[in-house]
Amino acid sequence: MTGNGRTMSSRVVSSRAVPGLLVAMAALVLAQPAFAHEQVAVGGGLVRGLLHPLTGMDHLIAMVAVGIWGAQLGAPAIWVLPITFPMVMAVGGVLGVLRIPLPVPEVVIALSALVLGAAVAMRLRLPFAAAAVVVAVFAVFHGHAHGAELPGSANPLAYGVGFVVATGLLHLCGIMIGTLTRWPAGERLIQGLGVVIAALGCYFLAQSLGAAA
Amino acid sequence: MNFRLARVWIAAAMLFARVEAADAHIIAARLGDFYTGALHPLTDLQDLILWAAMGVLAGSLGAAKGRWLVLVFPLGLLAGLVLGRVFGVVSAGPAADAGMILVLGLLLAAAARVPATLLCAIAFGLALMRGAANAGDLGPETDRLLFAAGLACAGYAAITLTMALTLTFRRLDGGPAVAWRGIAIRAVGGWIAAIGLMMMGFALAT
Repeated sequence: MTGNGRTMSSRVVSSRAVPGLLVAMAALVLAQPAFAHEQVAVGGGLVRGLLHPLTGMDHLIAMVAVGIWGAQLGAPAIWVLPITFPMVMAVGGVLGVLRIPLPVPEVVIALSALVLGAAVAMRLRLPFAAAAVVVAVFAVFHGHAHGAELPGSANPLAYGVGFVVATGLLHLCGIMIGTLTRWPAGERLIQGLGVVIAALGCYFLAQSLGAAA
Repeated sequence: MNFRLARVWIAAAMLFARVEAADAHIIAARLGDFYTGALHPLTDLQDLILWAAMGVLAGSLGAAKGRWLVLVFPLGLLAGLVLGRVFGVVSAGPAADAGMILVLGLLLAAAARVPATLLCAIAFGLALMRGAANAGDLGPETDRLLFAAGLACAGYAAITLTMALTLTFRRLDGGPAVAWRGIAIRAVGGWIAAIGLMMMGFALAT
């Protein structure tokens, strides 16, 4: 009985599998490349945009710190942040694209890591409006640095998509780390992480001040 | 696995291993122009971003408002294609595309309650723009009817699938899980608006 059942089910599987395989084979054999838009260096622009916030340690730690701080502050910061930050950063990006200079950008970017790291370490609970202003100012400077790279990119649209997505994912990463605040040990861990971010910010600040001097 | 099924798998694996590009009959039969029309917008990042943003916006507003786009969007693409061919209106320019990306992103980020009529007008306008842009790459040898059919089918499939995925993601009847999903869609809107703003700046700078 069992043997018959298995044979029957195997036949059913094989009879169902054959048309599926034939369709898959036909689809594969008939596949044609799209001789369509020859958009220049989409992949390269996308990868460059994605890597730009990830390879600059000062950008990376500041973006993660923004997410963690947002999670520490709770609502509404935790949901306003990921919605508005990319747009505010894009304003800075436009300034960068238009080559409108900002004062001491490297110093402010380093300072952002120091301030945001310290805020996380001290669990600084600023009013929402004040926290938003602090983050917005830093967002403009970070966006400016990314935007300045855009015109040099082989595919500016792909570069823009890449860096906005990378920045958003870094925030998400920070927010997810920030959810550890639910547990006392997690809260201490996050504060420790804030100290590390602030220390790195100090290092970058010293470096940029040295370069500026 | 029984012996017969194993043989089928082995045969399939052998065939896959030997597969080569078919420089063959489908193009010669001119049916290739259908696929060219269907794949043409999917190889353009501007089309991909704009179509996806439109689909997500329509999906975020609910099925009652979004379902009109299933018809309006492909028709708009066809109208744009005709405009592009007949009047030589090819592209509205990068600033218009960037502006449309920005508007769609802002509407999503703000969770604006867009009326169905306005949604249809935006979708038709967008489809008109992109249809005309796609007409710009029609060659003299291209079968326009097949190209148009492919483009309309791609528009229909893309907008319907994106709306359906967004509606499923929102899971309107899902209770407490809804809040963060709505925020995630708004965050995607923020990303899209940021891309549009950047491209607007770039279009103005060049």
